[in-house]
Amino acid sequence: MTSMGITGFEIVINAVKLLIIFLLMVQAVPILVWLERRGSGFIQNRFGPNRVGPLGLVQLLADAVKFLTKEDFAPDKGNRFMFYAAPVFALIPGAVAFMAIPLSVPLKTPEHVFLIQGYDINVGIVFILGVSSLAAYTILMAGWGSGSKFSLMGALRASAQIISYELALGLSIVGIILLYGTFNLTEMIQAQHGGLSFKAFGYTLAASWLPNWGIFYQPLGMILFFAATFAESNRLPFDLAEGEAELVAGFHTEYGGFKMLMFFIGEYAHMMIASGLMATFFFGGYSIWNLTPQEVYNWCYGLVGSEQLANVLSVLLHFVSFSIKLAIFLWIFIQVRWTLPRFRYDQLMDLGWKTMLPWALGNTIATAVIIFATTYFVIG
Amino acid sequence: MTADAFLFWFLALITVISGLSVVLMANPIYSALSLAMTMISVAAIFVTLQAYFLAGVQVIVYAGAVMVLFVMVLMLFDLKHELQAFTRGRATGALKIASVGILSGLIVGAVTIGLTIAGRSSEELIAASASGGVVDTTRSLSEALFLKNIFGFEALGVLLLVIAVGTVALSRSKGGTHARD
Repeated sequence: MTSMGITGFEIVINAVKLLIIFLLMVQAVPILVWLERRGSGFIQNRFGPNRVGPLGLVQLLADAVKFLTKEDFAPDKGNRFMFYAAPVFALIPGAVAFMAIPLSVPLKTPEHVFLIQGYDINVGIVFILGVSSLAAYTILMAGWGSGSKFSLMGALRASAQIISYELALGLSIVGIILLYGTFNLTEMIQAQHGGLSFKAFGYTLAASWLPNWGIFYQPLGMILFFAATFAESNRLPFDLAEGEAELVAGFHTEYGGFKMLMFFIGEYAHMMIASGLMATFFFGGYSIWNLTPQEVYNWCYGLVGSEQLANVLSVLLHFVSFSIKLAIFLWIFIQVRWTLPRFRYDQLMDLGWKTMLPWALGNTIATAVIIFATTYFVIG
Repeated sequence: MTADAFLFWFLALITVISGLSVVLMANPIYSALSLAMTMISVAAIFVTLQAYFLAGVQVIVYAGAVMVLFVMVLMLFDLKHELQAFTRGRATGALKIASVGILSGLIVGAVTIGLTIAGRSSEELIAASASGGVVDTTRSLSEALFLKNIFGFEALGVLLLVIAVGTVALSRSKGGTHARD
């Protein structure tokens, strides 16, 4: 549905869509946890969970039962309201922000156009950054509500880190915004369709065997953005918030059972948003390697010979393409977590403020100058 | 009731309730969190007015950064001590009476202005909003900031820089964070 909902049918479709995308996200978490535990075992030359079910896949089900049946526990000295509210709020920013990422080309039926996306917002980037920056509150609420020194210290570290890296994160994608001239994620993906080609100084340069992806225009922006998202989602090498040698477990020291699992889901949701945005900004979103959606549709039409089926098939193909990109970045998140050691706190702040922020600022200025020069000066 | 009217009354209710709880809550942390809630609901009202960019910036800057710093600092305070310091003495009593006066003045002012706006006919308001002819709010906002009011914008930037330098200088005097008291 393109509009937010005027008729009853539109409202129902939109509600169902929100539910489905939320469930997709939550369902991905157990698989990611399994991947993380098996993957860490693989990286560290051990087995990981391999006893319950084939390849240990049912281990997660057993874990979920264990989490659900654990004793419900709240610390005496803490603030009960905050303590219980924090894990619930931890789910919201991740879920709301992920809805704004387009997952596939719109599905066209004779009467309607269905967007494969929770909702299309004209200022998608600003919305996602804004909503996911609210995650700092849940961490602070958890840390303060627990009434424990370790939790509070962990929460303060985490929120200071999130605020610091938000600047580098925001600045690193200004280059992309300048390049595509839009805040809208769908328009950004449309600009990356097809083979690599761009206009400079009045010439058109093309290399059709390469995709027209953002990474070829903004390599530095890509590196800065990816590094900053690691800090935003509190993952290693930036997980100072839960440095277990210093802080037991940081802001979720006092949490157990399903309440801790909800923080977990929030963290994985942040990883998914980061991976989805990486794909959208720098790797063509749902588009398939140097092909435009029209070419994919034509190929599908040649295969099944019916417009309706070709539409559905092309939507599915693009969704698979997006999922593959998402999975690759999620795997990089896991690989990095089990490969790199943790930073010291002053190193973390130095990296954020003295290295990444100046480079992001320089990238912005250089991009603006180059775009201006290549557009307004014509050689020959 | 149309969807627009429902959204407005729903968001207005949330904004007013969270705004009131900022001043009525005894615990400063709840007040700060309510203020963040107020900012988010104001951003949602911006969305219903189709000012998407302003809404996003409101959430990023105020709710996502400024209020987080407030909450962080509040959590480091000894709240019971601060509460006691503000609940006794004649000077704080006078402060309280003064703030009650200011609050009631604000409420009366808001109601009066609201009534004058409600008195104007809806055609008048539509004409006033249509005269701008605004389509792309992000573009028109940046044009207003960087083309028409560039001097004021730069001057504000310098002002903020002065504030930042002043804060650092103040915190560094008398030994800064390493001072022993």
